[in-house]
Amino acid sequence: MIFKILLTIWMSVTIFAAFLCIEPAAGFPGEVSRILFFHVPTAWVATLAFFLSMIASCVYLITRKVNADFLAQSSAELGFLFCFLATVTGSIFAKSTWGSFWNWDPRQTSIVMLLMIYGAYFVLRSAVPDHEKRRVFAGVYSILAFCTVPFLVFIVPRITSSLHPEDTLNPAGSGMDTKTLILFLSSLFAYTGLFVWMLRLKVRMLKIMDKEQGVKFKV
Amino acid sequence: MHPTKSGRWITQTVSSTYLTEAVAIWLRDLRSEFRTRYAVNSILMFALTTLVAVSFSIGSFRIEESERPFLYAVLLWIILVFSALSGLSRSFVKEQEAGTMDILKLSARPQAVFLGKLFFNLTMLGALELIIVPAFILLMEYKIRFPGCFAAMMVTGGIGLGAGTTLVAAMIAQADARGALFSALSFPLLLPLIITAIKGSERAAYGISAAGWPEVKIAAAYAVIMITVSLLLFPLIWEE
Repeated sequence: MIFKILLTIWMSVTIFAAFLCIEPAAGFPGEVSRILFFHVPTAWVATLAFFLSMIASCVYLITRKVNADFLAQSSAELGFLFCFLATVTGSIFAKSTWGSFWNWDPRQTSIVMLLMIYGAYFVLRSAVPDHEKRRVFAGVYSILAFCTVPFLVFIVPRITSSLHPEDTLNPAGSGMDTKTLILFLSSLFAYTGLFVWMLRLKVRMLKIMDKEQGVKFKV
Repeated sequence: MHPTKSGRWITQTVSSTYLTEAVAIWLRDLRSEFRTRYAVNSILMFALTTLVAVSFSIGSFRIEESERPFLYAVLLWIILVFSALSGLSRSFVKEQEAGTMDILKLSARPQAVFLGKLFFNLTMLGALELIIVPAFILLMEYKIRFPGCFAAMMVTGGIGLGAGTTLVAAMIAQADARGALFSALSFPLLLPLIITAIKGSERAAYGISAAGWPEVKIAAAYAVIMITVSLLLFPLIWEE
């Protein structure tokens, strides 16, 4: 409960500060650069969630503990949500700086690829009736899919050049002053906190649903 | 397939190795395929229908000379990939439908089953490419500047297709709604391979030099990675 309240305050302060306390970065039209505080954290959370889901799948395949699969499933679902948000916010940014919502920039290609992989992951989950089998298959598929990601991250960007701003708005680069950096990190922290909170809710929900189903079968 | 016939081919003996078991399964699948011709017919008819549709609607002179290498590579790979997706799942689905899956589980080690099925799928893909690629080249007036590089791209691309889809076929054979599921699950895994293969074919048809064959190497790396990971993961889904 206290976590929820703190998170609400933290997020509200971050959002207000992102609009009120920071000057728009030079080199971008209008207020566009403020998307940094919303787009990058969602993309970061999506990556984190998918990675966590893959690790949880591995843990499930080794130990066969149901809780690991609950974590893998919840994490994948939340990752999908955040990945979708990152796609939409990125697309808005693309429209106002590059002129079109979608132009198959390598970043856009790889994010669509991720959406497709996890879309297929949920389809697979829904298509296997047996619980045990469903968990194993989902885990296997998520590991298999993870092995193709390096190809898209490292090879596709070499075939075509990217317009994605990295040097201009990179937290490690010189293009960001201290105030922006602090707010950016605080936003990352807020979104990660949001993810953790949602993840715990989702895992709890899956556990309760599983228990209820068990009761139903017994009766 | 008749159980006594199949029994003779998949019996595990003490001295059998992974490779002999895999070859036995491969030969048994080829033999059963020769009898029914289900997979090969469906894949080839799908490919030929698509090729005819493409050739009929585009013809060989509709696309500008400068655009051809890229667009033809795209069309060729779309035909190949979707034909493969239409039939490659048969290798495992037919075991499930005939009820021979359990016997296969008892008679051979999982990795050998995977390799046997992979060999079978690669045979199907080889047959598909042998017929469709020359037909495409003839019908579309596809001029290829570096035939060696082009052939290598076709071979490694085909192996990559087989490598990326065989494990998925084993999974969907045990799921509901098999047909649609196979394409939905395979396509995201194949996307990096398809992008690479299209680039490689374009380079072979048009590029200034084919030096180094970078796309061929990427496709080969993809195939090796997918086969290795599949070999490691296959026992998990097979012994469920």
